Amino acid sequence: MILTGWEAVFFWVFSIAAIFAGLLTVMARNTIHSALFLISSLVSVAALFILLHAEFIAGVQILVYVGGVMVLFLFVIMLVNVGSEERGSEEIFNRPRQVTTSVIFCALLVAALISAVNEGYQGFEKRDANRIQIATEQRLIRDKSLDKSATGSSRITNDTGRVASSLYRFASLPFEIASVLLLVAIIGSVMLARTLKQEAAVDDVDSDTLQKEVAHDPELGEVQPKPLA
Amino acid sequence: MQFFMINFFTPAFGLILQEVTSGRFAVAWDKAQHPDLSKFLTIGALLFIIGVAGVLTRRNIIVIFMSIELILNAANLNFIAMSRYLQDTGNVNAVAGQIFTVFVIVVAAAEAAIGLGIVIALYRNKETIWVDEIDILKW
Repeated sequence: MILTGWEAVFFWVFSIAAIFAGLLTVMARNTIHSALFLISSLVSVAALFILLHAEFIAGVQILVYVGGVMVLFLFVIMLVNVGSEERGSEEIFNRPRQVTTSVIFCALLVAALISAVNEGYQGFEKRDANRIQIATEQRLIRDKSLDKSATGSSRITNDTGRVASSLYRFASLPFEIASVLLLVAIIGSVMLARTLKQEAAVDDVDSDTLQKEVAHDPELGEVQPKPLA
Repeated sequence: MQFFMINFFTPAFGLILQEVTSGRFAVAWDKAQHPDLSKFLTIGALLFIIGVAGVLTRRNIIVIFMSIELILNAANLNFIAMSRYLQDTGNVNAVAGQIFTVFVIVVAAAEAAIGLGIVIALYRNKETIWVDEIDILKW
């Protein structure tokens, strides 16, 4: 796997964009800015996925992360935004001693990871140099035999089809379990985000707690619990 | 005048640079023009570390959640890069990395939904999103 020509240019552009957007996500004072920088980081990583011939995953990344998860984040930021962070009356980082310790830890970790990656890849390179050469030539030959797309500017690959068949052949049980997990997440987040009044309306509050809370909020006592059908 | 001076000295500077760095600079430039697996893994490591730093240093619980998304995304990048590498070299199931990535995205979405539900419940009860003020469990 070696990128050449324009692919290399796009690799550097998108990886530098991803890293800078990631840094700004962590360092931005305004939480909304953080979320928007995270979106641009995720889009840059999706572009890197396209460079790696994972078009389906790139689409999923943009649809699910940017379209779903980040919109959820923005909603919650709008709901709980306190504004003191922007005005500068609140510190955005922890106490200096904690920050120093964790930055030193992160610097050590990044040095270790990068040296490990480079050392390990040299062994890989030595072992697989021939196979990479052969595979690159074969890929070029195979790409020429693929159908052209409607605009004629590119070719239609079958990579996505391979991912789909592999997903259903080897991972169909985890796929089903993932759907159950998402159902549990939906129900769980609805349960967590209810107010005490909504909980009292379906008779889901301990009677002692309810009596204690009625003392603060007399409106709560008027709620008539509706038995579940 | 200066322009000609620079033109005259540039090849000499190049030679001196090559002598001093014993050709390592030229090799690095050549490698940078042909990014391979190790470059992708390095980018993944950097994104991961940025996420870890965010989790450890920020006080805003929502930014901590976003940093966790960044960490998961770095793991996805590693999965995809390895998958592409195996497509070129291995004979095992080479697209397994992409399938793992789908599941990582599913788990990230579920985690974000639950986590943000907890944040809303917490804000309703404690009126704060600063993690150092959420300390009921501290003895």
